[in-house]
Amino acid sequence: METESYTNGGVAKEIGVANKQTIRWNDFVLRFLAFVVTLVAAIVLGVSKQNELVPVQLVPTLPPINVPASAKWSHMSAFVYFVIVNAIACAYAVISLVLSLANRGKAKGLSVTIILMDLIMIALLYSSVGAAAAVGLIGYKGNTQVRWNKVCDVFGKFCRQVAAAIAISLVGSILFLLLVLFAMLNLHKNRRH
Amino acid sequence: MASEPEKVVPPVEAPVAEPEKAALPPSTTRPTDYFAVADVVLRLLVFASALVSVVVMSTSKETEMLPYPRPAKFTESPALIYFVAALSVAGFFSLITTLGSLYSLIKPGCCAKIISHFIVIDVLLLGIVASATGAAGSVTYIGLKGNTYVGWGKICTLYGKFCRYLGASIGVSLFASVMLVLLVLLSVYSLSKKIPK
Repeated sequence: METESYTNGGVAKEIGVANKQTIRWNDFVLRFLAFVVTLVAAIVLGVSKQNELVPVQLVPTLPPINVPASAKWSHMSAFVYFVIVNAIACAYAVISLVLSLANRGKAKGLSVTIILMDLIMIALLYSSVGAAAAVGLIGYKGNTQVRWNKVCDVFGKFCRQVAAAIAISLVGSILFLLLVLFAMLNLHKNRRH
Repeated sequence: MASEPEKVVPPVEAPVAEPEKAALPPSTTRPTDYFAVADVVLRLLVFASALVSVVVMSTSKETEMLPYPRPAKFTESPALIYFVAALSVAGFFSLITTLGSLYSLIKPGCCAKIISHFIVIDVLLLGIVASATGAAGSVTYIGLKGNTYVGWGKICTLYGKFCRYLGASIGVSLFASVMLVLLVLLSVYSLSKKIPK
């Protein structure tokens, strides 16, 4: 190793400079955007509620009775999971923003831990998008084979809000994906050749 | 006489420097050998679990006698069709990357540039497998517990074997996504070890 530094003195200096502690702006911007987007997705689904009067035919001879029914996100466990995961991702985006600003490449262990948590957030966010989309699709089209009726013809506004929240959370998941890819690119650039 | 030891010393230094230089490449590649082996093993596990998930869900068919024979298949639910498709894609790409890193293990240093691109495939596969697991998991959960607010009845009391197959398939795909996280973490860790302090 000593001979290496002796012969490659100039190159070692360049490597030392390349590893200087800089704020990676794309990391900072992506984390901030991810915070905003996941917050919006959680809120859009969290305030989704619709009350409707559903005509129910109890007896064929009598006219249908209007029964008040409501559609809330808390009725469906997949939507509860969606809101919880987006809230966790939002909180994590803030914490990791602060940590990566404080770290700025100093402690490698912290950088690797942040990348690991980013990966876990990718998995959680994508699974919540998949779950909410699957349930939303059943509510939209129904499933005649198992006698699950569609819900969206009655609760149109609720279904539109769910669709919007899913689309926004998909953007948030892609932001987390880009975070990991950029971190990987940064590691690849800074490695010793 | 004084110049003689000086003349002796430089030739001795040069052979000493050369074995050091020659010894350097094997000692720097030996730690990465463990990474390469763990890489191949993890990729193989991902491929195997994706294959098992697809096979188990494709063969999950159960026919129950209501007054007429009613089959329950995975093709009845778009979420389960997406699960099978996504895991097939994941299995295909993980097979390709397994063969690639196996080839790189046998012939070290042949295609390091392509291998470094495999990590992008791994991260994308993580997203795909996680979303498929979430979708199939939510549909199976509704089938298990039902939903009284929207009037969706539980089907797992009637189709027990179908639900068990679904549950097993989803559990194995969950294992696949954990393996994918470990795979990307392994690549990140091996890259971070190469960064000079």
